[in-house]
Amino acid sequence: MDGHFACNYSADSTPSMTDYTNTCGPDADPTLFARVSRTVVTGESIDDVLQSILEEAVRACLAARGFIAIVDHDRGELDVRYTAGDQWTEEKRLARLKVSEETGRGITSHVAATSRPYVAPDVAKDPYYVLFFDDVRSEIAVPLVDGFKRTRGVMNIESVELDAFHQRELCVLEGLANLATAAMTIFDHRAREAALVQIGKELSSLSGTGAILQKVIDVAAEALKFEDCSLFLLNEVTGKLVLRASRGPLNRQIGQAAYEPGEGLTGWTAKHGQAVRVVDPRSDPRWRGLFEELPASDVGAFMAVPIHSRRGVIGVVRVQRKKSAYKWFPNDFTEGDERILSTIAAQLGIALDNARLVDQLVKAERMAAWGEMSARSAHMIGNRVFAIKGDVNELEHLMRSGEIRPSDALELCESIKHGIFLLEEILNEFREFVKATHLEIEDVDVNELIREAVAESFPKRSRTNLRMRLTAGLPLIKADPKKLKRCFSELLENSINFQPEGGRISIATSFADERSRRWLRPGQRSGGYIKVRFSDTGPGIEIENKPKIFNPFYTSRAKGMGLGLSIVKGIVEAHKGIIFESGVPGKGARFTILLPYEEQHEKS
Amino acid sequence: MCKILVVDDEEAVRSAVRRRLERDGYSVVTAESQAEGIAAITAARPPFDIVVTDMVMESPTSGLEMLQAALSTDVFTEVIVLTAYGNVANAVECMKRGAFDYVEKNIPGVDVFELLSLKVEQALERRRMSLATLRRIDQYSKNRETQA
Repeated sequence: MDGHFACNYSADSTPSMTDYTNTCGPDADPTLFARVSRTVVTGESIDDVLQSILEEAVRACLAARGFIAIVDHDRGELDVRYTAGDQWTEEKRLARLKVSEETGRGITSHVAATSRPYVAPDVAKDPYYVLFFDDVRSEIAVPLVDGFKRTRGVMNIESVELDAFHQRELCVLEGLANLATAAMTIFDHRAREAALVQIGKELSSLSGTGAILQKVIDVAAEALKFEDCSLFLLNEVTGKLVLRASRGPLNRQIGQAAYEPGEGLTGWTAKHGQAVRVVDPRSDPRWRGLFEELPASDVGAFMAVPIHSRRGVIGVVRVQRKKSAYKWFPNDFTEGDERILSTIAAQLGIALDNARLVDQLVKAERMAAWGEMSARSAHMIGNRVFAIKGDVNELEHLMRSGEIRPSDALELCESIKHGIFLLEEILNEFREFVKATHLEIEDVDVNELIREAVAESFPKRSRTNLRMRLTAGLPLIKADPKKLKRCFSELLENSINFQPEGGRISIATSFADERSRRWLRPGQRSGGYIKVRFSDTGPGIEIENKPKIFNPFYTSRAKGMGLGLSIVKGIVEAHKGIIFESGVPGKGARFTILLPYEEQHEKS
Repeated sequence: MCKILVVDDEEAVRSAVRRRLERDGYSVVTAESQAEGIAAITAARPPFDIVVTDMVMESPTSGLEMLQAALSTDVFTEVIVLTAYGNVANAVECMKRGAFDYVEKNIPGVDVFELLSLKVEQALERRRMSLATLRRIDQYSKNRETQA
């Protein structure tokens, strides 16, 4: 094994350092590194891996005890997280050490500050040592330094014997420390990957509301350790970058905080479409310090990446870190951080584009419906007015001729009144069609709403059978109860009107199954949906009519304008749900509504 | 007495037109669809003098099809097309193919029933003249045959 784990350690001029001449000794456990590397690869959690490495280290050095302290970059402190050996008390485990290069502040702190290993053959004579355990005579500490030359922690091993640690132990511990750092990096990457996947999922269900943007920012900040994270989106009208989601104090200014294009580092990022990554942003000439998560004097590192979309830059995601109180902890953002943030920004860009397209599609459909509606309603109103004019013409003729009978005049008046009533009914449907998309949202129990609709719309003495299978325990949904009830009533009345004697209508609610979810459009949110189904044993809908039934003015009845199902569709779509018909012609109609509900967000 | 067919898919329109034309002393028959209208035209003996038809019923070209049916039964039947206000493209097409005229249902400030009554009267006049011309041609032909 000689030289296999080469030590690149060279003794420095620290007074207490003994000049070791030994190389890694032949008595090193030959299977140690194979075992530990296996743990790094297969370990369930970083805690398991580091604990196991520490125990191996204590054993390999024949030491009494040891600990690994992890650097808390925010506070500039060392947090004793893993312990091995005897005499550990809860109080000692909770110890937090200040990082310091100075003498008399502890060996661990010194190693963290210098990022170099340190051996104290006799702690009693050591300038850095502070008493932690009474029985310690000698001590060795190695830093855990990652690929960005950042000290992530310190592994400290203690012996009750004098001069217990030499070149062999140093070699072994440095090797173990590297494995520990590798493990930390691996688990960091896994966490990042998981976070990116989660962000991807959140974004695929982007409904255009601020809530999901905020969720993405929260996940990014938490899982990726971006303590402060804000999202700005370009307002197309004003051209300003407006804060849309944030973590921390800036949260209170969502929708208000705004940068002019090119203003500050954030505006610069949007204007030039390039990422900015700076240390001590206040010294940057572009810095304006307008809206910050942290007090300006605390900002140590700043990074912003543009959100690109098909329409060019549409926003900026930015993160900031506090200035480290300790110069040994470089607190700047790394290239890796920038890659991660750029990935999130790219996903955001795609998701926002997507949401916009879906929005445009829905609007375009509605506009088309409007166009048809104007033409059709002009026709219908025209005919009604024509008929009323006919009555007036007749009335005038009778009165001029002087041979009018009161009963004839009254009959004409009735007819005129009826014509006006029909006009008002058209106006009413018009208004409902328009209002279908204006919702007054509250928490709604769908089952309860169905019961109310049935109580109001289902005739008491009907020859039609009504069967209800309402699944208990469905989540509440955000909905406009009046409008949604109108949908249910309309579908129920439709079914009743088309039922033969002794027909059957069933209403069922449940969670949406995979089969019905296939009707969702691409771009609709992928979260949970409630399914409401109205089926009947009426004539059903002919295949050739299926594409038309939700169009305005499609009707097989004489009453009204035939806006009923188009209003239902408008209301369901305003709730970000869908409605479709999948019955078998001749056997009955089957209408299914899927309505999204807010899932209780689970953090994994 | 003149026979008029009124074709419209709205009952209110049919009955209002019928009442007004009956007041003028015509005999009015109504039909509520293109198909029913064509059947009535084909079955009528003698043919209708005037057909008043809605332009848009089952299809946007219902009026054109009524016109074709009427002219193929009696080329001198006069057809008046009713159209929605401001929607005259199809009605103009009808006139190119031989309709007498078109009447917009909702011209603001105009009593459309009086207008329709007038158009029907003019259409009948043209039909009478056409038939008279036809009779004269017939007479002329017969005379030539006898002379020959």
